[in-house]
Amino acid sequence: MTASLELRDVEKRYGDFVAVAGLSLAVPAGVIFGLLGPNGAGKTTTLRMIMDILAPDSGEILLFGRPRLAGDLRRIGYLPEERGLYRKMTVIDQLLFLAEIHGLKRRQALPVVEAWLARVELADWGRKKVEELSKGMQQKVQLIGTLLHQPEILILDEPFSGLDPINQGLFKELLLEYRRQGRTILFSTHGMEQAEKLCDHIGLISHGRLVLAGELREIKRRAGSNSYRLVAPATAGDLERVKALPGVEVAIPQEPLDAADPRPASVRLLLAPGASSSELLRQMVQFLEVREFRSEEPDLEDIFIKAVRDAA
Amino acid sequence: MRPEHAFIVAKREYLARLKSKGFWIATALLPAFMGAMILGPALAASRTKSQQRLAIVDETGAGLGRQLAAALTEPEAAIGEHRELREQRERARDEGVRFEVQIVPPGPDPAARRAELDRRVRAKEIGAWVWLTPDGLRDNRFEYHAESLSNVVTQEVLRTRISRVVSQWRLRAVGLDAAKIAELTRPVALSTIRISATGSRAEQGIGGFMLAFGLCFTLYMVIVIYGQQVMQGVIEEKSSRIVEVIAAAIRPTELMAGKLVGICLVALTQLAIWVATALVLTTPAILGVLLTLPAGLTLPEVPGAVIVHLFVLFLLGFFLYSTLYAMIGASFNSVQEAQQFAAVAVVFIVPPLLFMMPILNDPDSPLAVGMSLFPFFTPLVMMLRIASKMPSAWQIAAAYSLCLLAIAGMVWLCARVYRVGILMYGKKPTLQEIWHWVRYS
Repeated sequence: MTASLELRDVEKRYGDFVAVAGLSLAVPAGVIFGLLGPNGAGKTTTLRMIMDILAPDSGEILLFGRPRLAGDLRRIGYLPEERGLYRKMTVIDQLLFLAEIHGLKRRQALPVVEAWLARVELADWGRKKVEELSKGMQQKVQLIGTLLHQPEILILDEPFSGLDPINQGLFKELLLEYRRQGRTILFSTHGMEQAEKLCDHIGLISHGRLVLAGELREIKRRAGSNSYRLVAPATAGDLERVKALPGVEVAIPQEPLDAADPRPASVRLLLAPGASSSELLRQMVQFLEVREFRSEEPDLEDIFIKAVRDAA
Repeated sequence: MRPEHAFIVAKREYLARLKSKGFWIATALLPAFMGAMILGPALAASRTKSQQRLAIVDETGAGLGRQLAAALTEPEAAIGEHRELREQRERARDEGVRFEVQIVPPGPDPAARRAELDRRVRAKEIGAWVWLTPDGLRDNRFEYHAESLSNVVTQEVLRTRISRVVSQWRLRAVGLDAAKIAELTRPVALSTIRISATGSRAEQGIGGFMLAFGLCFTLYMVIVIYGQQVMQGVIEEKSSRIVEVIAAAIRPTELMAGKLVGICLVALTQLAIWVATALVLTTPAILGVLLTLPAGLTLPEVPGAVIVHLFVLFLLGFFLYSTLYAMIGASFNSVQEAQQFAAVAVVFIVPPLLFMMPILNDPDSPLAVGMSLFPFFTPLVMMLRIASKMPSAWQIAAAYSLCLLAIAGMVWLCARVYRVGILMYGKKPTLQEIWHWVRYS
């Protein structure tokens, strides 16, 4: 697969603060790529550098397999993190304007705009001013604005933040549909759940560094053999003893445990490569009344936490 | 730069603004506001009658006190043929000055009388007192005592009346009779005739003054209002981040050019509506229906050239100042932050208004010519000069050329600051940082 977007050793500093440190990343064509990381990891800075809003201090950004050319950004649809539209314009005028600056003729764009508004259930709102719309509606209008000119790459900064579950579902649907047309989507999020359901590829960044990247299925498969679920009545002290056992890398209880009172607990365990699960169970039954211990598919959060720890 | 991109932006700016209620309200309200500014004080003055209770103490023994009292209060008929007195009374009435006079004898102890009059002023029984002394008659100087001395109009009326009464008294003293005096001291009026390229025509100075003032003030308002709109528009795009989406599609210079041209067209539309309305309303046929002008008052003639210059000067002023406003808008993140710097623009645009009187009084003075050649003053000063007396062609050409050069410089500067500034956010930049943007390419 050719990379439609590639970053090579990109660095960005604000004074002494290193926002992005030597980041290299390739987004293959035709995939949904999730750029994951906690707040302040450098996700927005990275996307803004791709959009030429910020200039990297060093490194290279390639679009469509070559250094970025003047007109390339017109082939991208971009949704900035902080949302905004012209408040006093009507929804249709606004979208027609965005279509026009991307080279569409007003007359061609109008039916497209109307079709999109119907698709996101805003057909009755087209003649209303943007300021009369709710935040969620504005977000939908803005997403339509990035899609009108049918860009080859979509770059979305936290597209799901502030949306209710129904609209989150709608956004996911739209993005999956877009990917099916063979287009590429790069989006940032700090919510692992959306990424898990949506992405083909992920890149995890922490403190401006890439800690893990690749195909989600492959990443999960690699991590999969080492993830277990433990169910047993336990105290906080018991959890500490579990964490201290050889071969345990991460132990995350579903709920916080009480210091003195043993409660039924469900804990996710990540084992070090090569660690023996039967040996671990043998040790745990010595101080815990284990009710359940099974292998399970890791979720992205576990993988992320482990990757950040490994990188440190 | 691709003009079609700028055109899309200009079209958006123009239509969005023309569709807003604000535009039409401003179009209707600004003339009303200006009319109120010009006519308001005059109306207010004619409605508010100020009555001054004045005590006159006459120590001259020449009956001056009684004559002054008469001059200040006597009805029209008693003044008779004395035209100047009548005119003065009319003026005093126009200015709302009325006197209520009582004659107070000096008494045996003038010092005690003075103290008593002061007490009466403090007790608000009288407003002021005048003491006419023989020494004062010789030195041409009398005393006026009052709690407040800011009533300059009243004082001026009083001063001219006293002068008149005293000079009449002196003329009688050398043996002239009252009728002779009246005849000899009749004032002379000036009939004002304006010479213009199209011929000469009787006009009143006040009409020409109002025209120059009105045109200059309109220009000032339009340049400032639309300059501020450019600034607010830039800040809106910046703070809503929509500029980041636009900048991915078109170049910042295209966005800037489109914005300036679009808003300029909005302003031109408004200006054209005003000019057309004014031209229609002042055609004699329509004006005659609307109101009767006071006898003798003529509207100043407005040659077509003045209107052409109004539009040219607007274009010069708009591009000179809106680039400055765009630069300020691009540098800051909120209107509040930018407002402090917007004051800088006002520093440049206001001086012509402060020097309006000397410029109108002598439109060819070195002050007027000098100021009209400084590009940031050119639009307003040239408007004043052109409306009052057409300057020589070379001066117009020089002023306009310098202005165009300044605009070229401002556009260059603005484009550089704008390009960097609109995509910057975070803390407020320092002037030094803004200068770095200019040099960064």
